[in-house]
Amino acid sequence: MITGLLIGLVVLGGSAGDVFITKGMKQLGEISTLNAKQLLIIFGRAVTNRYFLVGVCFMAVSYFSFLGALRLADLSLVLPATSISFVITTIGARLFLKEVISPMRWAGILLVCIGVALISIPSQP
Amino acid sequence: MKTAVVLITAIVAQALGDVCLTKGMKAIGSLETPNVGFYETFSQVAHITLQAFQSPMVWIGTLLLIVFFALFSAALSWADLSFVLPATAFGYVLNVAAGNYFLGESVSSRRWAGAAIITLGVLFVSRSGERTIETAPEELDAPGVLE
Repeated sequence: MITGLLIGLVVLGGSAGDVFITKGMKQLGEISTLNAKQLLIIFGRAVTNRYFLVGVCFMAVSYFSFLGALRLADLSLVLPATSISFVITTIGARLFLKEVISPMRWAGILLVCIGVALISIPSQP
Repeated sequence: MKTAVVLITAIVAQALGDVCLTKGMKAIGSLETPNVGFYETFSQVAHITLQAFQSPMVWIGTLLLIVFFALFSAALSWADLSFVLPATAFGYVLNVAAGNYFLGESVSSRRWAGAAIITLGVLFVSRSGERTIETAPEELDAPGVLE
């Protein structure tokens, strides 16, 4: 029960983090310079952007929930379970960032999700 | 093109970073007995942390992962999250290959199958276009930008 809750936090925290970081980066505008000074300015804007910082906090929540989940359950359960976050993040991107997810993109994301689950189930010795 | 270069560099940095971290941390060793008291656990964790800070491999690995995150965030400044995130999943494939090649890990046929399915998925995603929303006013007329 608590394990399920923690895995939920891992997934939701990670997805929320990605959505907020994207929102922050989109606010900064497209990065199209290789000038070191310009990049430094952009870096400064990113780490002081409210959305970006909220995103990083959600990432931290996700990470510590992951560590917590590992104390209660095996990596062989936790890691494959978190592969669902590809789908959850996509739903978040659609709802909150108004991204348009074509059927082609959905198909690709579902394949990635299945593949990551397959990869992260550890091999039995 | 820009997106491809940035994301491929990010993925390679992540895979190499994971390999370096694994190498560095494996050289240090692990917590010995899991059910010792709080004080012993704490001192072991402190000891491992101190050793990790002294390992060049751990530093290089951490630096590479920071590079990954910076490039990942940079790509999000112009491309869709629903494009960038699944695209970086190709890193799992590289990780399996790098673990097999650099660390001598054996890879089961199920994991190779997973790697193949991810590759197919990333191909699908990469064919779906990288941006579906406009990010800046001057790009409203750019081709491929929907409402």
